Amino acid sequence: MTAVALAPGEIRLEHASRAFQIRADRGGTLKELLLGRRADGPPPVQALDDVSLHIAPGETVGIVGRNGAGKSSTLRVLAGIVPLDRGTVEIGGQIVSLLELGAGFGRDFSGRENILLNGALHGLKREEIEARMDDVIAFSELGSFIDVPVKTYSSGMFVRLGFAIAAHLDADVLLIDEVLAVGDEAFQRKCERRIAEQVAAGATLVLVSHDAALVERTCERTVVLDGGKVAFDGPTAEGLPFYHRMMGTDGA
Amino acid sequence: MTGSVRDLLRYRFLFEQMVRRELRQKYQGSILGVAWYIVNPLVLMGAYYFLFGRVFKVASHDDYPLFLMVGLVVWIFFNQAVLGAAPSLLDQGSLIRKARFPRETIPAASVTVQFVIFLVVLGLVAAATFVVRGTVGTSLLLLPVVLVALFAFVLGFALAVSVLHAFFRDVAPILGAVLLPWFFLSPIFFEPSDITSSSAEKAILTWVNPVAPFIEAVRSIVYDGDWPGGDTLLYVLAASVVAFVGGQVVFRRLQRELAVVV
Repeated sequence: MTAVALAPGEIRLEHASRAFQIRADRGGTLKELLLGRRADGPPPVQALDDVSLHIAPGETVGIVGRNGAGKSSTLRVLAGIVPLDRGTVEIGGQIVSLLELGAGFGRDFSGRENILLNGALHGLKREEIEARMDDVIAFSELGSFIDVPVKTYSSGMFVRLGFAIAAHLDADVLLIDEVLAVGDEAFQRKCERRIAEQVAAGATLVLVSHDAALVERTCERTVVLDGGKVAFDGPTAEGLPFYHRMMGTDGA
Repeated sequence: MTGSVRDLLRYRFLFEQMVRRELRQKYQGSILGVAWYIVNPLVLMGAYYFLFGRVFKVASHDDYPLFLMVGLVVWIFFNQAVLGAAPSLLDQGSLIRKARFPRETIPAASVTVQFVIFLVVLGLVAAATFVVRGTVGTSLLLLPVVLVALFAFVLGFALAVSVLHAFFRDVAPILGAVLLPWFFLSPIFFEPSDITSSSAEKAILTWVNPVAPFIEAVRSIVYDGDWPGGDTLLYVLAASVVAFVGGQVVFRRLQRELAVVV
């Protein structure tokens, strides 16, 4: 499928379009299938509308925009979780996504067991995960909680474990969706340092956030999405003022 | 296809983790734990023996409890694997929405757990049969082939059912309704010749139901100590290939949108 081999960490999104049906119950029923139509609901939302993006290895990109602008959809498309209606997405190397907090954690399993499962989800072998185990546990600061079922964790502990795992998977591309905000401030700083280390080592970062200060600190480039289209794409120093003007929050 | 083989190797450890998770999650916190997987089919077999061996005697076979149990373990595997796989993708929705990995591992892990339980229970029933009936023969060499075919058949069926259920939530209820009459029409408590002398009806009971030849084959080997008929064997192999390939085709076609519907 991929004609031109991409460098690890490179991302190419060409004319990407994707619409979503908004429904409370996402599966269909047989009745709808037999009648050949779905029950009434809001019209489909065009989350991505002919979006083209080219991100070079090692770039740090913040994606901002109002709620429903298509930010999270973009990440899920990049992560290969949701297919496009039209257009192509190509991404090189090992992709590590931190999209839903603690999603995929088996609640009855200990933190340690969940590290194994999460590593496995990213295609790692047992030895590879076990080699990183101590680092992950140390980073998560969970201490003896690591051997307790994660259902007893606080939401802050969830994030710490989730981020600790993601941060140690040797990502070429890191996709992060608004999850860091849950941890306490000290841990947030620690995550940012860890991300910076990985970027320094050549990883590409794509971050979705409403936190302009976070984007300013971590991303050199900013993409503003509006109504599924790219409204702005350029240096963060210009992107954030554009974003604030668009949102009417520039204090003017 | 080479891509999927590479995936399989790369994600072998994920599969192992899923099986482990499936095994532990279900009876987590119960005292008997994993033993429930064995206790349930044994209790069920006891109940059906009472009903069909003592109360309604539909058929007369030597060592009837063994005759019944050999067929019943095959059915229980089919039944449990399909019913377990149906909601499996929805149950693991949070994984599907979060990460990219071969989604087949979810229903496959669920079926594999049931298969392992099936092997254990079948081992117990076969051991008892061999002791009581002395039916150990060279045909036993064929049993692994039949069991692999059975696994492929059930896996293919379960793959299709799981992905269809993710899109159409009627699939599991329909299955629930269909499996009970299907069970009674399967040659578990009887052989077709026990309940009808019409050859057309016998043929329907034997060949229309794809599970029936698997039951016949396992029963020939374990209970009769005999070789299964060539036609039965051929059917078993063909059914396993058709279900396995068909199930994967259906799964592949529908799985792209899974993260959106689960």
